[in-house]
Order: sequence, then structure tokens, then C-alpha cells
Amino acid sequence: MNFRDRHLWIVILAGLSLGTLGVLLSVWGNPQNSGICVSCFFENSAGALGLHDNSRMQYLRPELIGFVLGSMGSAALFREFRSRGGSAPLPRLFSGIFLMVGCAVFIGCPIKLVLRLTAGDLTAVAGGIGLVGGVWAGLKTLAGGVHLAPAQTQKGSGLLVPGLFALLLVFLIVRPGFLLFSAASSAAQHAPWLLALAAGLGLGALAQRSRLCVTGGVRDTLLLGHRSPLLYGLFAFVLSAVAVNLATGRFNPTLYGQPGAHLDHLWSFLGMALVGWLSVLIGGCPFRQLIKAGEGDADAGLVAVGMLIGGALVQSWGIAATAAGVPLYGKVAVLAGFIFVFGLSLVQREQEGY
Amino acid sequence: MPKFSQTSLLWLLMVVATAAMAALLVTASGDDPRWRTAGLDKAVERELAFQARAAFLQKVYAPVEALLAAGQAQTALLKLDELERSFSGDPHGFILRGEILRDLGVLDRAIANYVRALKLSGDYLEEASPLSRRTEIRHLVDQGLRELVPRARSNPDNRSLAATVGELHYLQSRLAGGCE
Amino acid sequence: MKRLLLLLLPVVAVAVFSAGCDRIKERPVLRIGYMNCNNERETMERFAPLSRYLSEQVGVTFETIPVDTHEFEERFRAGEFALTHTNSLLYILLKEDAGLKLVAADKRGHYGSRTAGTLIARKGSGIETLEDIRGKRLVFGPMMAPTGYLAQYDLMLQAGIDPERDLGYYAIPAGSFKHEKLIYGVYFGDFDVAAAPALDLEEMTREGKIAADDFVILAQSQIVPYCTFGAAPDLDPVIFAKVRQALLELTPTDTVEIDGERVKVLKAAWVDGFEELLDSDYDPIREMARRVNMPPYQTY
Repeated sequence: MNFRDRHLWIVILAGLSLGTLGVLLSVWGNPQNSGICVSCFFENSAGALGLHDNSRMQYLRPELIGFVLGSMGSAALFREFRSRGGSAPLPRLFSGIFLMVGCAVFIGCPIKLVLRLTAGDLTAVAGGIGLVGGVWAGLKTLAGGVHLAPAQTQKGSGLLVPGLFALLLVFLIVRPGFLLFSAASSAAQHAPWLLALAAGLGLGALAQRSRLCVTGGVRDTLLLGHRSPLLYGLFAFVLSAVAVNLATGRFNPTLYGQPGAHLDHLWSFLGMALVGWLSVLIGGCPFRQLIKAGEGDADAGLVAVGMLIGGALVQSWGIAATAAGVPLYGKVAVLAGFIFVFGLSLVQREQEGY
Repeated sequence: MPKFSQTSLLWLLMVVATAAMAALLVTASGDDPRWRTAGLDKAVERELAFQARAAFLQKVYAPVEALLAAGQAQTALLKLDELERSFSGDPHGFILRGEILRDLGVLDRAIANYVRALKLSGDYLEEASPLSRRTEIRHLVDQGLRELVPRARSNPDNRSLAATVGELHYLQSRLAGGCE
Repeated sequence: MKRLLLLLLPVVAVAVFSAGCDRIKERPVLRIGYMNCNNERETMERFAPLSRYLSEQVGVTFETIPVDTHEFEERFRAGEFALTHTNSLLYILLKEDAGLKLVAADKRGHYGSRTAGTLIARKGSGIETLEDIRGKRLVFGPMMAPTGYLAQYDLMLQAGIDPERDLGYYAIPAGSFKHEKLIYGVYFGDFDVAAAPALDLEEMTREGKIAADDFVILAQSQIVPYCTFGAAPDLDPVIFAKVRQALLELTPTDTVEIDGERVKVLKAAWVDGFEELLDSDYDPIREMARRVNMPPYQTY
């Protein structure tokens, strides 16, 4: 590894920022171990827009808006904004939905997985193993010739999702009456919105520059070993999160009584395995999809739309797990997700003679 | 029509539509009746519904509270049985039953009732809620960890104790918060 | 060849079927003694599905035997029962005298596997405290009832009231449904005070037979275990473990077939489930029995 490489230091800076802000946002008001959680934020935001009726999960998370707009700003500044799309749009939309299913059953996205682990939540270990296993399986699938069609330049379509998030920013500021904000429970716990938005913008910009992605980091490490810059980004993320958790008295290593966690380890494993596998197929974890959407990638934007739909469905259909465990519909939905992955892989496989 | 003119026309139309929207938004003040369509004040409606529910519960369960205040725990339990015929599965009934059983020292059943209540409604964990039982639940968890966990450890094959400790950990997890 | 196979097929089928029948016949048959609460017919209706369920789960044929309380000890000592289902006082008696082992306890009502004894008077009768019962007419449940007799007798002794001398008189109703009878006895004014199990008050209130406001609860005992499954000391440990597991895993949706009909096991038995208790959980009853001078700690 070349430690004089400027990109490597950007990746490490992004990892440090993600770990530090991930814990600090919790200290500033976000739910415990959930300073940054893309899937939780989507569930909250879908609720705020009236797409589901769980009154405990409704808040338009400024961080989510910040990720997309920060990425767009950075991409525009460094002339990397390219409007592109057209690669298997509907499979990507459904992938977004199933990403949310996997996250909801585990209770958290890959970033929250790391935040939970670094706060001592040992129930997340099964999810961690599942994520690595899912990425490994995804790589094997790619190696077996499964590829989604290549994207093409599409003028304008890359602006639609950043435009949607800009509209959400307007909603956040104006607070029209149709928005629903929880008065109690986890969605009522949030950092001051300007602080959260600033954190989101900063992380979005850094992630755009560094290409930081949790599943991408795992994937590159499996492929390149210690030569992967993202591995060092992940190290920085983990170390900074542990340090801030320790410094703020939030490190509590135990299996029991953890916030927003359950003991259905098999389903934690399977939920994150689904997320890992899908993320490799579509080229990035939920966070990375948002960053790519900000760079003008309409395909990633469609994944983001799928995640918004998924965020509503996991709440409306009783798919999301709670501390009580994984409901039946959650288990069925995860298995449906795997059926989708297998079916997609079969359909998208490059076969000899074709 | 030449291509250039069409492009210009489209740009022009876009500017007009944007200006019209901006004008509409700017000219309509916050209390303009045009904003008041049915169901828009959802937050107010929700708050009203919550307050109404809290008041209703206080009224329905007032006899139970009165019996408890008079130290008649068993009669209060019987009153809850009576009320359950009309309000079956109501989380507030489970909360009150949990409180009485805790006071009577039946820790395992108290925990089971609090768990049932919290699975139905998280309102009882909110510190700001008029229904809040957060402090009581925290004390119950502390007592359970002190009394039940060592008992379960010294009887590792006892499945009933293990199940109660599992429920205790559920309460602990809910108290810890998190996003769910 | 095909014809030969066709001929052989019924022969093989009959042989397999017969072997199966032999195996069914060979299954060990064990007896479960169920203490009669009211009458034999009710006991059979309540517990035959439970015995059938246990037979299916354990692989042993269990027979349901209704047993009167006063016969239980003698018949258990004679080795008649592999398993027993009794109240907690009888469990202690059989444990102390014949080595009965604790399997599990019934869960029912607010207190789960436990209940309490209460002393009740009709509201408005003028009896408001335990002190007021001196010289009054009291009705107990059956003598071997831990929360229909023992607990209340102990409550009175603890309060300095000797039931043998300080009451006007006391009675024990005859026949079935004794606990309900004594609650109605107070309700209709035949008695001033009744020794009612909290569980019966709870169930009668839930069914709408009485109202919470009808009575004053003068005193309530400590909460103690109630109905209990026990096992003979010589029962095969493998069967013991399987029975316990089957009881603990029994859910409200489990059914068995009785006379061609699917019956919910727990509902039929009037039980919410089973719980694994420790023998030390029964110590409060032991202490009560010692104070009241009742078996198995009776001294003359």
C-alpha cells in the first residue's frame, strides 16, 4: 500500500468522519447506536411523508438529504457529475426494496452494523458474519458471469433524484402540514436539524470523493487484501467509532439488553447476508447508492427510490424486527429477497452461446 | 418549426411554470385558507387523539387506581378482570396488572405483563408521555437483574426462569432505546 | 415377475401392519393420577386430552386415573401412578412421605403457577377487617386445599384468631364445586366470611358470575404454588425429561383427537400453560402447614 497516495488519506478521513459523526449524532440526539443508519432514516422519512402509519417512525431525516446533496455538490465541484442510467432499472428498484428488508430484519444498515458492534452490541456479530458471507457470495455470483447491463449516458435523468432530495430539503425547512413527525419514541429522537444536515452534507461530500462503502470495503478486501484503500477506510471508521463510544461512555459490551437489537441471530445473519449479496450485485451498500445518486447515477437513484418504498413497506407490512425478535413476515420477506437474488442472478447470467 | 424555436419555447414555458409556482407559494401566507385542506393538520389531529386516549384511559381505569390507592390490590386485580371483558387486550390493563403484581412480589408475572403492554404500545416508555411508566419499568428491570438473573444462573436447566430472564432482557433493550 | 410382486405386496403390507400393531401393544402403559377437584367425570374431561398429548409426545401410553384426595397417598405408595397431578399441599405430602419428584406446575390466572388464599365478606355486611370476623360464621374450602383452607387458617392464627375458639362456627361444604359454593354462600348471606382461593374469585369475576365490588377482601395470604405435576421416584429419567419438556412446550394451539374430535389440550384442562418451579418455591406452604399443624408435619 502506498501511504503517499492522496486518495488513501481521503478514504481514511472519510472513515474517521463516519465513525466520529456516527457516534456523535447519537450523542446529539439521534437514537442510541443509530447516529447514522441509512435504512432507519429511510423508514423514518417514508413515515414522515405519510407512506406508512407507524407513528413511532416518522421524521424527515436531514442526514439522508445531506448525503445526496453533499455528494452532488462535491461531484459538481470536482466535475464528476455525470448523468447516467438505464442499467436494469426495475431489478434495481426491487433491489432497493429488498435491501430495506434485509436491513429491517437485522435492524440497521451496514453502517449501523459497525456502529452497533463498536458500541459493544454483540448481537450484531451474526449480522457482521452474514454481511461478509453475503459479499463473498455476491462476488462468486459476479465471477460466475452475472452482470447487470451497463449504464449509458442519459441527459437529465441523473438530476431527478437529487432534485427529489432538494425538494425534501424544502419540506424540512418549510414543514408543510402533510408531513408527519413522531412526537414520541425513536423518530422523535434526533440531533438538531441544522447540525444533522451539516453532518450529512460533509459526509456526503467526503464519501463522494473517497468512494467509501462498507460492502465495497469488504468486497475489495476479499479481492485485494491489504492493498485495498477501502480496508483502511473501514479501519478508520471502526477505530474512530470505538474511540468516541469509549470517550462518551457508550461502550457496553454485552449480548443482552442492547438498544434496537434482538437475539434471532440466524435472521440477523440472513438479513445482512441478503444486504451484502445485493449490494455487490448493484455496486454498493445503501449509503453508497445515495452517494452515487448524488453523482448523477440514475440507476443508484432508482435503488434509493426502491429504498424509500421499502422503508414504507417494512413498517406497513410488519416486516421490521424489534427487540422482541423477527416477525413471521420479516422472515418470509428475507426469503423472498433471496428468491429475488437467485432469480435475478439466473436471468442476468451471461451464458455461452448467447 | 425550427429546432431552436422549440427549445426556446420549452425554456420559456418552464420559466413561466416555475414563476407561477413561486408566485403561488409566496403570495399564500401560512394562515391562508387555501392551505387548509382536509387532514392537513395531521400533527394536531394526532396530538388530540393521544390526549383523548390518555383521558379516556384515566376515566376507564379510575376505579382500579382508586382501589390501588386504598391498598386493595387483589380487588383491583378483580376489577381489571371485569374491565377486560369490555377492553380485551388493552395495553393499559397489562400495565396496571404488571404494577399490582410487582407490588405483590410476583416478579415473573409482572415482567410478563409489562412486556405484553410494551409490545402493544411504546407510549409507556416515553418520559414526556402522561402514560409514562419508564421509571417503574427501570426499577423492575433492576430488581429482576438483582433477583432473577442469579436464580437463573444457579438453575441453568430451568426453562421457565430462562424465559423470564429473556423477557427481562427485552425490557432492558426497550429501555436502552435504539431505532426500531 | 409383476404378478409375483402383486401377490407379495399384500402379504408384505399385512406383515408390516401387524408388526406395527405389535409395537403399539408393546408400548409401556403408565398411569397418571389426577386429583379430583369436583368429580370423576369432570377430571376425565379435563385431563384425558392432556394424557393423550403426553402419550403422543413421550411415546408411552398414559392412562388418566381420577383420584379422590383422601385416597391419593395410599394409592401412590402402592405404586399405582407414574405421574401425579395434585394441589401443592398434596405434592408436599407425597414428596415427604413417598419421594415424589417435581415435574412442573400449572399456570393459570394472574399469578401464573401461584395463587393466594383470601378471606372475604360481602360488601356492606359490616365486616371490614380481619378483627371483625370474631364470633362470625365462616365457611372453608376442603381441608387439603392449600388456598381454600390452609392459607386462611394460617392467616387467622397469624392475626391472633383461633378458628376453633374465636369464630361463631365454621363449616366445610359437601360435594362438588366447593370453592364456588362458599363464595356464593357469603354472597347470599348463608355465611359471614369465606375462605376463597384468589384464583376462583378471579375466574368467577372474569366469567361475570360475581363483581369485584360484591366483596371485601379482609386478608390475603402469601402467593404460593398451586396445581403440580409430580413423578414417582422410580420413573425412568428419560421419560421424566420427555414429560417435563412436553408440558413446558405445550401451547394453547396444540390439539389431540378425542372421540373423533380435535380438542385443544390446554383449554380442556383449564390451564394456561406449565412452568418449571423449584422445590424451594413450595417452602412457604411447608411453613404454613407446620404452623397450622397439618400433614405431613402434623404432631399430636
